[in-house]
Amino acid sequence: MSNESHSGSVPIAPQRPRKRSHQPGNRLVRLCQKELRETMRDRRTIITLVLMPLMVYPLLSMAFNRFLVSATAGTSDETPYTIGVETDDEGTLLLAWLEDPMSQPPDAILKASKGKLATFRVVNTTSVGLTPDEALKEKKIDLAAQIELDDPPRLRLTAYSGDVAGQGAQRVLTERLHWLRLARAETILKSQLNEYTPPAEVTVAKVGAPEKPSMLGTIVPLVLVLMTITGAVYPAIDLTAGERERGTMESLMASPVPRSYILFSKYVAVVVVALLTAMANLLAMFTTLWAGRLLPLLTGGEDAFPWLAVLQILGLLVLFSGFFAAVLLSLTSFARSFKEAQAYLIPVMLLSLTPGMLSLMPGVTLQGPLAIAPLINIVLLAREVLQGTAHAAPAVITVLSTIGYAAAAIAIASKLFGSDAVSRTSGQSFGAMLKRPARVSPTPSPQTAAMTLALLVPIYYLVSNVLIRIVPELSISWVLTLNAVALVLTFGLLPLASVVLARCRFSTSYQLSPPSPLALVGALLIGLGAWGIAHESFVIAKQLGIGGLDVDRIEKTKQTVEALKVAPAWLLVGCLALAPAVIEELCFRGFLFTALRRVLSPARVIMTTAVIFGLFHVVTGNMLLIERFVPTTLLGLILGWIAYRTQSVWPGVLMHFTHNALLNLAAKYQDRIEFLGAGFENQMHLPASWLIVLTTTTVIGFAIVWFSTRKPAATNPNLATTPA
Amino acid sequence: MLHVESLTKSFPLDDGVLTAVDDVSFRISPGEVFGLLGPNGAGKTTTMRMILGLLEPDSGYAEVDGVRTATDPMAVKSRLGFVSASDGVYPWLSVREMLLYFADLYAVDSTLAEQRCESLADMMDIKHLLDRRAGELSTGQRQRVTLVRGLIHAPPVMLLDEPTRGLDVVGVQTIFDYIDILRRGGKAVVVCTHRLDEAERLCDRFGLLHAGRLRYCGTLNELKEQTGQASLVDIFVDLIRN
Repeated sequence: MSNESHSGSVPIAPQRPRKRSHQPGNRLVRLCQKELRETMRDRRTIITLVLMPLMVYPLLSMAFNRFLVSATAGTSDETPYTIGVETDDEGTLLLAWLEDPMSQPPDAILKASKGKLATFRVVNTTSVGLTPDEALKEKKIDLAAQIELDDPPRLRLTAYSGDVAGQGAQRVLTERLHWLRLARAETILKSQLNEYTPPAEVTVAKVGAPEKPSMLGTIVPLVLVLMTITGAVYPAIDLTAGERERGTMESLMASPVPRSYILFSKYVAVVVVALLTAMANLLAMFTTLWAGRLLPLLTGGEDAFPWLAVLQILGLLVLFSGFFAAVLLSLTSFARSFKEAQAYLIPVMLLSLTPGMLSLMPGVTLQGPLAIAPLINIVLLAREVLQGTAHAAPAVITVLSTIGYAAAAIAIASKLFGSDAVSRTSGQSFGAMLKRPARVSPTPSPQTAAMTLALLVPIYYLVSNVLIRIVPELSISWVLTLNAVALVLTFGLLPLASVVLARCRFSTSYQLSPPSPLALVGALLIGLGAWGIAHESFVIAKQLGIGGLDVDRIEKTKQTVEALKVAPAWLLVGCLALAPAVIEELCFRGFLFTALRRVLSPARVIMTTAVIFGLFHVVTGNMLLIERFVPTTLLGLILGWIAYRTQSVWPGVLMHFTHNALLNLAAKYQDRIEFLGAGFENQMHLPASWLIVLTTTTVIGFAIVWFSTRKPAATNPNLATTPA
Repeated sequence: MLHVESLTKSFPLDDGVLTAVDDVSFRISPGEVFGLLGPNGAGKTTTMRMILGLLEPDSGYAEVDGVRTATDPMAVKSRLGFVSASDGVYPWLSVREMLLYFADLYAVDSTLAEQRCESLADMMDIKHLLDRRAGELSTGQRQRVTLVRGLIHAPPVMLLDEPTRGLDVVGVQTIFDYIDILRRGGKAVVVCTHRLDEAERLCDRFGLLHAGRLRYCGTLNELKEQTGQASLVDIFVDLIRN
């Protein structure tokens, strides 16, 4: 070691990072690159990724081909049945019967078999020194025929027991001779009885497109489960338990990088490897089937390569890989060694096959609770997508809930990975993960928020489904009350439970600090004017074709508006304005906002919370109210900006309340304000005078909020943990 | 530079509670090598992990450059270098890639990281290994790589956990030279070890841990005066027996 000459070069002071290269996003990309580089160089990954598909599928295809050849020998249209006879005379007679046009089945039956007739080859077995029965026993022929040339001739057909081709030949030949007998009898009858008419002339016809039986929808979901798991297992173990086993865990945990970053980069690597493995498998499978001319068996159609199906499968693969990678990482993060991780994963892999088998069961469809059942929902979605029977609402619910589950699993993984449980030498139970932290934290962590959102999606879906089922039987007052209760139970209680369990400070987690009176005035003015902007955005969205109401929806909306007219105003304001304003603001601009502020810049936090806010308003029961996305997301952006500027949730509550109260009261008292000329029912633009007043009010409101909060939220030490 | 105050940590056991570290306090100045000594299970590694922010103390705190681990763990972590005998490498990355990866974890600018990588590799005589796959290195070469890795972000405080465990004579001498470099570089160094003979050669001051408590703390002469014993080994034997 050349310490003498270089001792002076040991750096002492910690260096300030340069801003450009160490933005969280850039760093995250580099962390992902490292994990991918490490995984993709690993020999074991290459074996799973390349060698398995290259070797397994051609072998499987060969075996499958062999099976098909033996199973269908003699049954196809092109392959003739071979009948063995003992003398040439017998052969000639047999061929004469078969070639007689009268031995052909009637048109109706011929059409049912696509107009194709089975063909026969008659051979004299004595030419090879065997009797027909001996040739049959040696499986040199499909059927042995013995004709006694009496009057009438007697025919004895012998087939080998259990031989599909022989049984088929025996059946077809018997039928053909039966038709011959009938046709001859009819000819004789016609010649002798002038008044003879057959009992009925039968013709057959078809309507609709022929249904092609496809194995894609049944087999592929199961294959997707197997492929993505196969690809994800090794990198998931290696990148988590492997860190501990090779002794890099402590150094990694000692570095100043949020655990969620490290876990996310590992997640990306596992997803990529799982995707690549599955794609390699798919490519090998389809290519092998295509080359072996077995593709029609899978597609039920032509021999052409099914590009559309492959693209659909690729989309589904992302969903499957994203889900499995997260679930596997959450389990392997808990393991201290490869062996332990494998012990955790084997039951999961076996369990995963059960939902995979669901895709093989007829009658199970993606609806109701199944749309939020983890893994089962994506398997069913895969089946319905490939069969072309998927519906938008359950598909969106499936995708959203799966993203939620994956986020929750990553959050669990980042809590477990490198925590006390794995860094310490003594044992630790899984339950320790649920233990409340000893110290109070100012805001919830992004992991806590992710887990809460993951729970919110299915619970909200179930609650809104239950509500929709019971609503027709209830009065409007009960409907409104139940809506408010459901809101409190879901968006109110779940985040609250998370804040309590994570021992977070209420005031900072929910941004409960009192705002300046001016900020409240500004928010009030925005609320007074913004509903008009929301209305206009809705109309514009409709014109752009990204929303708007169909006739049925307009009718339902009219019914709702009529129902609202009879509800007391106080109940309307309480349930549709006050409750959403308080609960949704505490959830989205309080809990979620402060959690995301730990890792995202203000602009990204405002955007993310607004989109999530918009999405939750789109999904209602089994319906997708797409038209609500643009106005609610826009409202979410304004509310997010107010929350950021004022560092308080209360101005947003006031604005949200004013906005909702005005909209609902306008609906209730529609008849009294129609003289003003607004066309709510017909989804028309507001009158210009209205727009000018409302826009001016909103702009003044924005200006007041802006000027009353000249020092924005970035100065809040509890929230500003990342560069804004 | 490093200030540890009343650190305490207990772990629940099936039949009670194990207090692994009990009210441990010490300070280390720049350029000083502090030996945290004790038999296996004395609480050395737990203390180290609390300083690193890997374990949350039940009470007390660790402070680096006036920043407490509990208040701003990331800022503290960025000021600490950590090398352990059980440190491993990423077998499928080259040595350079691994060192630059750790530099990135510590938010070191890429150009600066490249420069440090070269100079530290030169210093630890592993320059010829920089583009070799880490999985192909010998034990001694891996040890040098991890020593460089600990310094890639130029931390003012270095924590070394049992750095000589499992090493041969050459490896141990490498560690001695490394610590000497750190001392001359003005770093505050904590060395956790149960090898008292090595500690006597290496360290300026000592903290003697037993059953989670810091029984003695001071220079060798101060410890001899306090205990009336002739060497560290004698002091320790006396401590354990009584």
